Amino acid sequence: MSAPALDAAPVLTVAEVYAGYGRGDIVKGVDLVVGAGEIVTVIGPNGAGKSTLIKTIAGVVRPRAGTISIGGRVVSGLRASQIARSGMAYVPQEANVFRTLTVLENLEMGAWVLPERVRERLDLVFAHFPVLRQRRGVAAGNLSGGQRQMVALGMALMVDPKVLLLDEPSAGLSPKLVGEMFEIIANVNRAGVAVLMIEQNAVRALEMSSRGYVLAAGQVRLSDAADRLLANAEVGELYLGARD
Amino acid sequence: MTVYLVSMLTYVGFFMILALALNLQWGMTGMVNFGIAGFYALGAYTSSLLTVDAGWPFVAGVSAAGAVGLIAGIGVSFLSVRLRDDFLAIVTLGFAELVRLVALNEDWLTRGPRGLPIDVRPLSDVFDRDGYGWFYLGIVMLTVAVAFLIFERLRRSPYGRVMKAIREDDVVAATLGKDVLRVRVQVFALGSMFMGIAGALYAHYTQNISPEHFTPTVAIFIWMSVIAGGAGNNKGLLIGAGMVMTLLEGTRFLGDAISFLDAEKLASIRIIVIGVLLILVIRFRPRGILPEEKFDGARFGAGRDAANGGGNP
Amino acid sequence: MLQILFNSLLNGAIIAPPAIAFTLMFAILRFPNFAIGAYITVGAFAILYFNDMLGWPLVAATLAGMAVTAAIVWLTDAIVFRPMRHLPSVTMLVVSIALSLILENIVRLLFGGDVRGFDIPLMRPVKLPGLRFTWEQLNIVGIAALATLAMHGLLKYTKLGKAMRATADNFTLAEVRGIGTARVITATWLIGGALAGLSGLMAGLDLVIEPLLGWYLTIPVFAAAILGGIGSPMGAVLGAVCVGLAEELTAEFLAPTYKVGVGFVIIAVLLLFRPQGLFGQPEIKK
Repeated sequence: MSAPALDAAPVLTVAEVYAGYGRGDIVKGVDLVVGAGEIVTVIGPNGAGKSTLIKTIAGVVRPRAGTISIGGRVVSGLRASQIARSGMAYVPQEANVFRTLTVLENLEMGAWVLPERVRERLDLVFAHFPVLRQRRGVAAGNLSGGQRQMVALGMALMVDPKVLLLDEPSAGLSPKLVGEMFEIIANVNRAGVAVLMIEQNAVRALEMSSRGYVLAAGQVRLSDAADRLLANAEVGELYLGARD
Repeated sequence: MTVYLVSMLTYVGFFMILALALNLQWGMTGMVNFGIAGFYALGAYTSSLLTVDAGWPFVAGVSAAGAVGLIAGIGVSFLSVRLRDDFLAIVTLGFAELVRLVALNEDWLTRGPRGLPIDVRPLSDVFDRDGYGWFYLGIVMLTVAVAFLIFERLRRSPYGRVMKAIREDDVVAATLGKDVLRVRVQVFALGSMFMGIAGALYAHYTQNISPEHFTPTVAIFIWMSVIAGGAGNNKGLLIGAGMVMTLLEGTRFLGDAISFLDAEKLASIRIIVIGVLLILVIRFRPRGILPEEKFDGARFGAGRDAANGGGNP
Repeated sequence: MLQILFNSLLNGAIIAPPAIAFTLMFAILRFPNFAIGAYITVGAFAILYFNDMLGWPLVAATLAGMAVTAAIVWLTDAIVFRPMRHLPSVTMLVVSIALSLILENIVRLLFGGDVRGFDIPLMRPVKLPGLRFTWEQLNIVGIAALATLAMHGLLKYTKLGKAMRATADNFTLAEVRGIGTARVITATWLIGGALAGLSGLMAGLDLVIEPLLGWYLTIPVFAAAILGGIGSPMGAVLGAVCVGLAEELTAEFLAPTYKVGVGFVIIAVLLLFRPQGLFGQPEIKK
């Protein structure tokens, strides 16, 4: 299944990647592209391998075959800590903040690979999330779930990434916060950051995306423009079931 | 020379019983027990005190030792088997040390560090000295055989499959409806019962016990035996126990050859050698030194895959 | 009463630095390192070597001893633990127990099993109503307080310290965010070794120097760290004082021999009922 032609140069290319834990493969030959400034959403049923896929791209899981490139530079096989310097920032779904560190310290940790621009990036992150500026001395473990998600996303933004990898950014958030979170993602994207996200909230995610991939049983079943996926009745029935 | 060999084999026998029991608990059911010396000591002191102080006959003493081992095992496992592996190791080690401390401190009962002399032996007037050695060896080996048979039968039975399921993934086993806690306590207690029996047999053989016979080093030696033989492998660990004992005794001969090493230094070297070997085996042959007879999924080597329920390495 | 409190502080002072080391090692390297006691023994004998055999003054000997201990501890990681990092933590525990026995017996081989003491001038104890102490003991408490402050400063205000805290908090996330976890690990071993060495000084001053020195401290150190909550260095210090108090009370109301056993009881109770201790993150049960 080849990806539809992009207007812009790809900032992230995933080519024929296989990955898994233990014996079998969970991701079985996935091709995926994200263009500069795009928002791309991956949807699919539980157990399809979406989380494993994104972890593999982020370098947390080692791909068994295939290549992953960022802006033309191959990063597959690099350790996660090296990938952090490549222009890609990954936000895990769970355990995505340092709970015993303060908000400010968390964000400082986020800028570890970019220490010279900490001040500037902090201002930007606080602009996106004003409440974090207020609570910057609070330990992340004492924040509400929504605020923690902000810290997690904020940390990723500290490195001025070219592409964000988001694993279920709306998970565990109240409906109001979900809307806010998506709005912030849209804002970040408007500033030029590409986004690849997995979302159970498939409809809302696709509504703000340019393209989408449907992943099932470790393989890409469908790849199309987001609005066409939304209009696709079969997709709607199988994968876009109300899931709030 | 034969007398020496008979004696050495008897000591190997004690190791074998302990190793078989540990294998039941860990190799077959996945419970990390570092408190071997505790059950061993409980059995030794129980039988000794009952026979020496209370005049019980040998067989009654040994049986009581087994019973005490069983009850202690129930207690320890009931409290702690839900702990994750490394903490279970520490807690069981703590149990063993507490037993040793009580033995050390309550010397009004146990004679403490002075040692408790035991002169009760079965049929001691029937055999002469050499003959008695063979006789006692026979008793010990009989016990080894009984333990071996029971544990092997258990392993091949449906109960044994439950044990294995628990070892592999207790969460899955629980969802399949197996009463995980009950099986664990039962298995642990069965193992600790035999450890207690071994302790009693040990006490009546060496005829003098003191708390320093029951230090954590015992646990290291037994773990070494089980690991060397391959976890889960009952035949293997018998050979493993033999190997460990040969190593220990071998260094004794080394001492004779190299005269400037006194007994103390030798003891230190012995422990260093065993320690280094243990680390080497874990590093290079975690499945055991012997060739695998059957793939039993030794747990010391590969890490457990949390994400992938099936297919252990 | 006052004496019990002072003794508790003293006990706690000796185990506080290694408890900090242990809790950081546990959180960052993700296994309980049983060799911590042996590291203390190594520290005590290293200092003894410089002080008693080379004749150095105690301060210089201590600094040298701490450096040597840090180096040896780092070496044990390079040779023993590092090749096995992917193995489950219970395996690492067993390896660390073996290592502990090896180190203790190497010390025994090199120095013999006799009881030793540092080469320092004898000083008369100070006797106040209800309280009796020696200047060494006071120094020990002071040193421990300083070390705690220093560690606090390091962890809170330096880049390395923050990286260590982050790595201790969430190793994978630290990697993902690009924090050099390899450097953090190296620092953990070196700092841990230095802290163990320092404890060797204090233990050697207050107790007797013999190969089993560290062994008796291992479990109290464990208990202190677990009580404080794994990953919380300041919690470990608080835990150390509590364990010290428990030991004193046991010695006072039960029997001195059981002092060593208190640690085990504390550990067992904690692991069964509140494994995260005071300040730790709950995730220790299976």
